[in-house]
Amino acid sequence: MVQIDLAKLPVRQANEQIRACGERGEDVEVINPDARHHIGVGLVHEIDVHVRGSAGYFCAGLTDAARFTVDRNVGWGLGDNMYKGSVVVKGNAGAIAGVAIRGAEIVVHGNMGSRAGQVMKAGTLCCASNANFMAGYMMYGGRIIILGDSGEHVGEDMTAGEIFVGGNVHNLGSDAMLTDIDSAEVDDIMAFLDRYQLPFKGTFKKVVNAGKKLRYATSERQMRSIPFFTFSGNLDYWNPKIQEDVFIKSQIGRYRIRGYGGARALPHVSDLAFRKDVARAGGDQDVVGKVKMYTEIGGINGARPLKLSMPVMIAPMSYGALSASTKRAVGLASSLSGIAENTGEGGMSNAQRDAAKQLIFQCLGGRLGWNIHDMNRADGLEIYISQGAKPGLGGQLMAKKVTPELARIRGIPHGIDLRSPSRHPDILGADDLVIKVEEFREATGYRLPVSVKMGAGRIRDDVKIAVKDGFDFIELDGMQGSTGAGSSEVIDYVGIPTLAAIIEALDALKEIGRRDDIEIVLMGGLRDGIDAVKALCLGADAVAFGTSTIIAGGCIACMQCHVGQCVTGIATQDPEHEKRYHPEIEAQNIHRFLESVRWQIAAITQALGYDDVRKLNRDDLVALTPEAATITRLPYEPEYRHRAPELNVKVG
Amino acid sequence: MCGIAGIMFKGDRDTYETGKALISMLDGCQHRGPDSTGFALYGHASERRLRLRFLIGERDDESEIIGRIKGMLAKHGARIIEDEIVGANYRVTVEFDGDLQKFAYDMEHVARVVSIGSSLEIIKDVGGAHDVDERYHVHDFRGTHGLGHVRLATESDVKPEAAHPFWATGFEDVAIVHNGQITNYWKMRRRLEQRGFEFITDNDSELIAVYLADKLAKGVSLQDALKTSIEDLDGTFSFLVSTKDEIGYAKDRLAAKPMIMYENDDLIAVASEEVSLNRLFPGQALDTKEPPPGTYATWSRSI
Repeated sequence: MVQIDLAKLPVRQANEQIRACGERGEDVEVINPDARHHIGVGLVHEIDVHVRGSAGYFCAGLTDAARFTVDRNVGWGLGDNMYKGSVVVKGNAGAIAGVAIRGAEIVVHGNMGSRAGQVMKAGTLCCASNANFMAGYMMYGGRIIILGDSGEHVGEDMTAGEIFVGGNVHNLGSDAMLTDIDSAEVDDIMAFLDRYQLPFKGTFKKVVNAGKKLRYATSERQMRSIPFFTFSGNLDYWNPKIQEDVFIKSQIGRYRIRGYGGARALPHVSDLAFRKDVARAGGDQDVVGKVKMYTEIGGINGARPLKLSMPVMIAPMSYGALSASTKRAVGLASSLSGIAENTGEGGMSNAQRDAAKQLIFQCLGGRLGWNIHDMNRADGLEIYISQGAKPGLGGQLMAKKVTPELARIRGIPHGIDLRSPSRHPDILGADDLVIKVEEFREATGYRLPVSVKMGAGRIRDDVKIAVKDGFDFIELDGMQGSTGAGSSEVIDYVGIPTLAAIIEALDALKEIGRRDDIEIVLMGGLRDGIDAVKALCLGADAVAFGTSTIIAGGCIACMQCHVGQCVTGIATQDPEHEKRYHPEIEAQNIHRFLESVRWQIAAITQALGYDDVRKLNRDDLVALTPEAATITRLPYEPEYRHRAPELNVKVG
Repeated sequence: MCGIAGIMFKGDRDTYETGKALISMLDGCQHRGPDSTGFALYGHASERRLRLRFLIGERDDESEIIGRIKGMLAKHGARIIEDEIVGANYRVTVEFDGDLQKFAYDMEHVARVVSIGSSLEIIKDVGGAHDVDERYHVHDFRGTHGLGHVRLATESDVKPEAAHPFWATGFEDVAIVHNGQITNYWKMRRRLEQRGFEFITDNDSELIAVYLADKLAKGVSLQDALKTSIEDLDGTFSFLVSTKDEIGYAKDRLAAKPMIMYENDDLIAVASEEVSLNRLFPGQALDTKEPPPGTYATWSRSI
């Protein structure tokens, strides 16, 4: 037994020692914990950890296999995302005890705070006294046992799993119902209680999902697809798009879902031009070797940075929205071009990890597929707050794409229309977020950059929060970003254009004098090297491409990504459709596209008179439209418009 | 975007080390708000005496502002007993016996008022708990009870006047600290403005202070004012309020913001996180309680 004294050692070092004890198989006793946060996070070995006192937020979070005992109370997020292993708390637990657990056994002798077991997937959360508001909120599986009273709205929006209540059920949450309990279930509960020496005499009420909200009542009828160029045409009213929209809504009686990005004309980087005439760009055959493009992202606070051969990344896109083959092709291409790939929502498959040399692992509110093991093999961790295509909404994956394999990785029931939570259970403000960021750093030993993916909304405030909460970089996503599935109204009408997003973000950082304390990766409808250079001139540190890499790999832009029957085998989980996609070939296509981006960046940078992309600046740009000039405060120079076609011929 | 703390000593002295206690508690949760720190401290109250604190920034012409303050004090017949400059504050004790709301608004029109009270003093500035203590000697403060706050600024700038606690302008000895966001802010504010209340900032926490003070001035008990606040205010909140002899809390119905409390024979302490409570009792496992959503309570020194 190793004794660790938190009165003498900061939590960060204590956690390093606890993990080292784990590797040696030695048990640990933590004294003077004084309710400090993050005790034991990231531990993945089967040892006993005894906390002699109270623990703070995220005690035993992001762990696997260890057995924790806490003599008194714990704060929010007890056992966050815990796989196997157990926690026994002798006192009370704060809000969201057992959040997102994946198999752990958690026992709280006292009361539990609000939203216990939120988005849990498997395992048992047991409270020997009373639970508070919304126990089992949005749970996907597993079992909650409450020996006392349930609190209000028990089982609110639960998808699966069971809640057993020994005391009063005050009232049921939305889409929850009481059902009969069988004797085998009771025996199993009693065996569990015996194992943890919890006496109980009485009967249980069983709360389960009522099944009224798991699937849309009517599925969307598949229509003849409209080509994207018609879809975004200039016929203003009552065009075929509007007709189709009205017709479909007359059938389904709700909002529509589609894939791809916004189709409205918005001010964008294409409304900017280079101040210098770059018509001669590209004359130099060796330009790629002459311009410095190597960029490190994420290292400013001491983490191991992502090493990018050019200031470009792959934007987050999930395995789920995209087929495994497509994720493999994108990953391989990212490795071939020396840039970073991103998992998007829904977990990390072995295939993705093998294909991409540098892989950012994204964490969303539903914690679908989130776990300590994949965190440890990632090259960066990313907290998703929202995305440009649909700020404020969670991901959507229609039942057709939720295969048994995907359901397993994500830890959800197979065959539901998955509407991921739009909020994180443990991030309700900047004050909670800072503790969450710290948890990730603690769990992975401060090795990995931690970024925030942010759809442009209240950018000025959000960016300030991001820098104050200590993120290493922001993936800032504008309204022109695409999605695998979103409400069509939201895609077209909600959000802030990418151009406005970067300007507001930089203004906010300037206002508080913190520009050097965070890096910005801009995305959202950026298409090629020309767009990339403009973004760098405006002040981004790097850019990310999503849609253009998918197009490079064969996407025909039919916008039916959500349906699951993608004819190119990209946005599908149907093996018959996926057969049409050849990852090795498409990886080469995507790689060649990325190399064209590299060449464009180099050629324009050189034509603007620089030998390093870091020298690009605002003075290299002018605005072609009054709107773009207003947004960017660049000089309005409409006559430059005539130069734009020439540039496109020469470069591209 | 913050952390809150409150403490009340139960004994009948007015010389408890409230300053030191709140500094420790706020240092314990400084991670929740690194931008600014503030204290509402209650000490010995004297009959007909008011203590006023004004903010005099570095750019201001100190003597000119103090001149304006003195002019307005004289106009209201307030006799200066002592005055000094501490940190970025001009602190003055006066003898006054008139209409406080009119007096307070007039003072606010000539300078930036931090607090006015017979026993309350608010100290707030940019930086952490220890930074503010160094500038204002908070650790020397002895009294009966107090509130504290650490802030991460988003909507408003990092300025001392946007820091918490908020004084309920025009109402003697009422202060609040708040963690959360009031979403029907403008609706509530307009309602109060129509009835003649003035707001100094656009911070939603000031609204809570004015809302509660308005109720108290109408003779509503603090308990009942807290009860209606849960109905009337929309959004996410955990807040603490203090008056000359009470502290109280209210928590929204969604339980979106944390709050935890500890009580023993000597004191009551409330904070955003248990780690702050443990700062008062290092090495001890505390028997704490988390207030349920949609609840409120008060503690009074007279009981």
